[in-house]
Amino acid sequence: MVVAALLLPVLACTGPDSDSLTVFAASSLTDVLPALADAYKAETGIAVTAVYGGSNHLTGQLRDGAPADVFLTADARLLGRLETRGETVDFATNHLVVAVPAGNPAAVTGASDLARADLRVVVCAETVPCGAATARMGIVIEADSREISVRAVLSRLALGEADAGVVYATDVAAEPGVELAWPQPEACPCVVYAAAAITDRARSFIGFLTSPTAQETLALHGFSIGAPG
Amino acid sequence: MRAPRPVLAVATVAVVFLTLPVIGLAQRTPWSSLGDLLGRQSVVQPLVLSLTVSVAAALVIVVLGTPLAWTLARVDIPGRRIIRALVLLPMVLPPVVGGTALLFALGRRGLVGQWLDRWFGLTLPFTTAGAVVAAVFVALPFYVIAVEGALESGSDELEQMAGTLGAGPLQVLRRITLPRLLPAMGAGVALAWARALGEFGATITFAGNLPGRTQTLPLATFLALESDPEEAIALSLVMLTVSLAVLIPMRDRWLPGRRPSR
Repeated sequence: MVVAALLLPVLACTGPDSDSLTVFAASSLTDVLPALADAYKAETGIAVTAVYGGSNHLTGQLRDGAPADVFLTADARLLGRLETRGETVDFATNHLVVAVPAGNPAAVTGASDLARADLRVVVCAETVPCGAATARMGIVIEADSREISVRAVLSRLALGEADAGVVYATDVAAEPGVELAWPQPEACPCVVYAAAAITDRARSFIGFLTSPTAQETLALHGFSIGAPG
Repeated sequence: MRAPRPVLAVATVAVVFLTLPVIGLAQRTPWSSLGDLLGRQSVVQPLVLSLTVSVAAALVIVVLGTPLAWTLARVDIPGRRIIRALVLLPMVLPPVVGGTALLFALGRRGLVGQWLDRWFGLTLPFTTAGAVVAAVFVALPFYVIAVEGALESGSDELEQMAGTLGAGPLQVLRRITLPRLLPAMGAGVALAWARALGEFGATITFAGNLPGRTQTLPLATFLALESDPEEAIALSLVMLTVSLAVLIPMRDRWLPGRRPSR
């Protein structure tokens, strides 16, 4: 018991590491953040440890004192619940699309198909940003499941369990098992990603996100940069 | 027996460690608005679904698990150790992995699932039946281990005697083995049912999350934590109460082969 009592504080608190940053990121950034981290490390020598999750879920963890330096959220309103350092920065936008498994096995051709009872349609739960944005799309959806993150929706499509789903444009670009149901223009409702520093030493990463290098990487992964639109 | 003091002290620490989170939950409970919270459709609906799913899973578990436990305990089959390890695997497998494995097996494009879909038009993901399948997968080993333990610790003298007196194998099973096994079966069902009630990972990965169809209490609690923590606490209290109501009467029947006391 004495040993356990001595060990607990050591295990519970791993101190800040000067050459690494912990970044909590919305799960829709899963494909682009490793590339951003590589570029950041090349510039500064500072490594990035990424933790992905639904923005709301991560907000809850940060409020409970999770050890993060940076928070990249798909919903800037969540930052109001947190103590952040310095300015928050909007660094990219993403928009929602209706996607289907590769080959479109259920022949989904328009938004009205999402109300069909015979199709298995999967969307995000309204508690996560992609779900809130889906609700703002104004189309009737007979959902068969409301997943806890956009990555879960994507995996339903890639595995062929769902016939159609609402995901981000960048997800379709990154996942070969999934394609657009029909050609869809970039349109809102969209999601604006905001970056906030939780610790002071994270500010350089926030600045980096709007640098030409980072913006180019984001665009390469299908994100819209500049003013949301 | 008088226990040595250090043993008692450590045991006390363990009990406090296990009950502290429950106390934490209780002290954050909005008791004054609890009645209102518990009456909400968003609480009642997952409760009803969870009870339906866990009871259905318990029934399937008894039907599948009893012959399995008996076979493992009494029949000299080759590779019994490996079979037992495979049977108990879901106890240590992360439930999310279990749910993904279920998708690969019984999903619409799964190993067996694709034929279920093609021949019978039957798909399990996104259905209540799928939630039952996920619950059975994670909870079945708890029942098997309890019943098998009781069978192994009890001697089979009575059975053999009945055999020499001319009883057929099925008669022995029905008149002697099963009645003596009932307490262990009860304990096993309670354990398995409780595990099924709390099941989260396999359910959300295999069956999905839809209110009224696959959104059980743990799923509803997880989602409510992000939008309405008070409702999440109310949901947790419901699960806590239901579980304690079932587990407390079990008393000492947890341990296979031990008679209830006190």
